[in-house]
Amino acid sequence: MNAAVHRNPAVISAASSILDEMKSVSSSLDYAALLTDDGFDIARLPGETDGARFASMASSMQALGDAVTHELKIGNSEYIIIASAKGYVVQLRVPGHPMVLSALFDNDATVGSALAIARSFVQKMATLLTETASREPEMTSPDSGKNL
Amino acid sequence: MGAGKTTAIQAVSEIDVVSTEASNSERHLVDKPTTTVALDYGEILVDGEEKIRLYGIPGQRRFDFMWAILKRRAQGMVLLVNNDAPDPVAEMLAYLDDFRELYDRGGVVVGISRSDIAPEPDLATYADAIALAHAGKVVPVFTVDPRNNDDMRMVLLALIANIEMRALFATVERDAI
Repeated sequence: MNAAVHRNPAVISAASSILDEMKSVSSSLDYAALLTDDGFDIARLPGETDGARFASMASSMQALGDAVTHELKIGNSEYIIIASAKGYVVQLRVPGHPMVLSALFDNDATVGSALAIARSFVQKMATLLTETASREPEMTSPDSGKNL
Repeated sequence: MGAGKTTAIQAVSEIDVVSTEASNSERHLVDKPTTTVALDYGEILVDGEEKIRLYGIPGQRRFDFMWAILKRRAQGMVLLVNNDAPDPVAEMLAYLDDFRELYDRGGVVVGISRSDIAPEPDLATYADAIALAHAGKVVPVFTVDPRNNDDMRMVLLALIANIEMRALFATVERDAI
């Protein structure tokens, strides 16, 4: 039986390395999390924080964003931004995977640069997941989890 | 998860339902492709004029922040319990506890689903457990098929009747003092 994605050590390790690299690129990154579409924490930065509650919230937010774009008939939601006086949350899906990146940047970053960084790293994550999957055929998305 | 909340709202709603489904990572626990991660939203009209707004909420405890958001605006709750779950009676009692304020403010009705697949525990077992844990509370229990519009309408009307009856009693008691 396949392990759930968020418990797959290869996925967790890929996610952690992506978040570490993201932090090394942007000093404005205060918090970042990779999570499953249905709200399970995969990895977060700083790693010692409890990401469970935030992962669930981020997944609800993602789904509500999708519901809104569906309602207004404007296709799929590409990203979500929440701006506050102290920073921005940028959130978007890892292309081709039931997985979401949610990242908090401080105000030293512009919205544009925060979005650009987040976009490039979900792309990197997608590539890394494909590479990991080719090494480890067990790793599949929940939708293909039936081929046990 | 898997009691039929999304299905129930889809069965009974008179508008297109707003759903927030995501790929289910826990298919080893409940084998369904998607699960609700924020809410479902539907509406029905009762007596042709009173609009009832229906919010389906995610059952998993990790979404309890959504419970808090939706609880604030709710007047009552239909608690759907999957009779095929490992310990459905204990599960029901835990949720009744979590949503105690909805009972205090409005009303709660319990709907037991999938009793065609798992006939036990029966309704009396649920009713006894409620009577024991919540002495003096009126929480009607029904078996329901969430796919069935008539079943879900009946449960909703029972909930509305329950809320109105209790509001009436509260008024009578207040006036008597």
